[in-house]
Amino acid sequence: MDLEVLQENLSKALSITSRFVSSRAQLPVLANILLRGDKTKLILSATNLETSASISLGAKIKEDGELTIPAKNFFEIVSNLNSGTIHLISEKESLRITGSGFTGRISGMNASDFPKVPQIIKKDESIDLSKTKFLNALPQVSFAASSDEGRPILTGILFILSKKNLSLVATDGFRLSKKTINLEKAGREIKIVIPKNILLEVSRVGEENENILLGVKEKEKQIVFGLDNLILSSRVLEGEFPDFEKIIPKNSSVKVRVDKEEFLRAVKLSSVFARDSANIVKIKIMKDSIKLSAESSQVGNQETVIDAKINTEGPELVEGEISFNYKFLEDFLRAVTGEEVVMEFNNASSPGVFTDPKDPNFLHLIMPVKVQT
Amino acid sequence: MDIDKISTWNDALQSIKVSVSSAIFSTWFSQTHIAEIIPTDERFLIEIGCNSSFVKNTIETRYFGLVQDTLTKILGKPCDLTFVIKNVPSQKEAGSKTITPLFEIKEERLDEEFTNILLRARIRPGHTFENFAVSSSNQMAHAAAEAVAQSPGKAYNPLFIWGGVGVGKTHLMVSVAHEVLKKGSETKVYFCTGEDFTNDIVEGIRNKTTQAFRNKYRKLDILLVDDIQFIAGKDSVQEEFFHTFNAVTSAGGQIILTSDKPPSEISKLEERLRSRFEAGLIVDIAPPDFELRCAITQIKSKEKGLALEMDQVQLIASNLESARKIEGFLVNLLTQIKIKKVPLTNELIETSLGKGVETNGKMAKKTPEEIFDTVSKYYQIGKRVLLGDSRARPIARPRQILMYLLRTELQMPFEEVGRLIGGRDHSTVMHAVNKITSLASTDVQIREDILGIKNKI
Repeated sequence: MDLEVLQENLSKALSITSRFVSSRAQLPVLANILLRGDKTKLILSATNLETSASISLGAKIKEDGELTIPAKNFFEIVSNLNSGTIHLISEKESLRITGSGFTGRISGMNASDFPKVPQIIKKDESIDLSKTKFLNALPQVSFAASSDEGRPILTGILFILSKKNLSLVATDGFRLSKKTINLEKAGREIKIVIPKNILLEVSRVGEENENILLGVKEKEKQIVFGLDNLILSSRVLEGEFPDFEKIIPKNSSVKVRVDKEEFLRAVKLSSVFARDSANIVKIKIMKDSIKLSAESSQVGNQETVIDAKINTEGPELVEGEISFNYKFLEDFLRAVTGEEVVMEFNNASSPGVFTDPKDPNFLHLIMPVKVQT
Repeated sequence: MDIDKISTWNDALQSIKVSVSSAIFSTWFSQTHIAEIIPTDERFLIEIGCNSSFVKNTIETRYFGLVQDTLTKILGKPCDLTFVIKNVPSQKEAGSKTITPLFEIKEERLDEEFTNILLRARIRPGHTFENFAVSSSNQMAHAAAEAVAQSPGKAYNPLFIWGGVGVGKTHLMVSVAHEVLKKGSETKVYFCTGEDFTNDIVEGIRNKTTQAFRNKYRKLDILLVDDIQFIAGKDSVQEEFFHTFNAVTSAGGQIILTSDKPPSEISKLEERLRSRFEAGLIVDIAPPDFELRCAITQIKSKEKGLALEMDQVQLIASNLESARKIEGFLVNLLTQIKIKKVPLTNELIETSLGKGVETNGKMAKKTPEEIFDTVSKYYQIGKRVLLGDSRARPIARPRQILMYLLRTELQMPFEEVGRLIGGRDHSTVMHAVNKITSLASTDVQIREDILGIKNKI
């Protein structure tokens, strides 16, 4: 392999791919990045056997070839070089790097030991995820996914693809977030659970790319994201996602509409004391306002009253108070884009429904905290 | 031949471990398993499950020969390998049992919600297919009802169930609604009696809200009318029902009716209604036989938390002929046990049965003479012989049955029974009543005799 590549391009590509190198690889080759010079392109690939990344960048190739070299060392060297042309030459199992006065040699390993990483995505077999809508929807859902590895299926986000729509659902068992976006092109019907991590990567790098393609390899239990010249892959989570449709309340006895900023401020205020008492903030519904209160036996107590539009459909108002984990409320309020939020309750032991009146495709459920009285 | 997949693979892994470095082994092989072994004539087809496509590709391209050789050595026959991506089965289940709060209350809340739905449809929650006992007497009706529950509006429309009191018509009808609502709570179901229907119309006419009445009934997916015979002879009600019937069925809705008679025998029923009823399926339910009554007794006692032995169940079932009586008796028994704090014994059941179950005075109108006549006619024994001194069994048994009936049906005191049966001692009567009570649970002949006589009274 003998090629020339621009430092800016290589450094950027390495910053993405090096995140996919396994940090504690038992197999040394997995700590490496695969470099492949192919006609006009330099392709960098990395994998940790769960996920993989492969990026291709334009280069001047004098001689094709491939080699793997330790990701960490290579990235550190490249990122500290001056911008400009870098010359990479493979010499047996090591790589010579020259550029702007620097000369170095890193010993690597034979490329044949490196696992096969998906490097292409077939356009006609993949689904176009309407980039802007998808990237806006992801953060509204992903925060609700669990980080508890004890129940792996909940650490993923459920993708329900239908003819025209894509629904994203995530839950950690205490709250649930669901967002539906419509796709421009019709796809096939698929239901898969995709790990949260790969989606975070997609949203991190997706902004700069033209479009986001999703390919599903059902037989291999793998999904592939195509972001222009970057191909990301991940395994699909196996298991049964909880039947979330059933727990979405169909009706409610009281509907509360409040200003988002005001409510967020009240939640933040309550957190001062709620932090010390199991994160509990109590919401009391009154005639045309709601009262948030929190108390801690050691630190003190507080309450905030904010104006609200209350609609009761049942004959009587909800009696007493409903307690929530303030962190869940805060997470939801940060995810909402509109200026107002609507909350619907039935009683203190059934999930509250949180919606954005301007966005009928977004739905959030939070389970109240059971308070012993 | 059955080969233990786990131990085979463990053996194979042990020997692979020797051939490759530990890093390679733990990276590629530690998460694999044998998904399936299919033995063919001379070979084995082995499917190896890998946890990701990377593992699959690597083993398939680099270690195929090694795995194949190892497995061939262990199994003693040539092996063919295929690879799939599958998690190790035991890992899949781990942790999935913990229920998180959002999903935990689901059941409870659904139950509550479901009860509300049932209440809205005016359906009694306790009546389901699960607690409906089936035997030859109601098998047909049960099968028809299940078919209707499977595909309402399509199987049999209308379903017309008829039979005597307390045979389970209403229970069956409500079970259908229950089953349908369980599948989809959106279905519009309404249960009413023939009389409710009549009252609703009367109300509608009086308050000039017949439109509301029509909206209520004509847009239903399933309409259940109990005791439809009550609308017979009421012209405007029949007319309204006729239109309701047409509206519901033409929209693909299901109608289920119950009555105490088949449509052909309901007098003053309009011809057009009769023909419509007859167009569906008409099934009858006969009074429960002994085995069915046993099953009913068991179901009901379980519901009430009463632990009955099999012989006690038979004792009760043989002495009481309808499901309602059995229920009433069990309530009575439970109260006695709770209030008097006496243990549940065969004696307690026998004495309670001996006293007879409280009836609404219908039986009390019968005179002892009528019972005398029926018994002597049934056994073809002269009255004088029956009350005489003969102790021969063909005479004595009917006499005991007579005493049993006088005691249980008319609630006469022992002394009085003794006086009527040729001036016998009250202890003789007590003995006779106990004897028949226990015989009825074991002797089919006696059971049939008692039933036959009771039917004739």
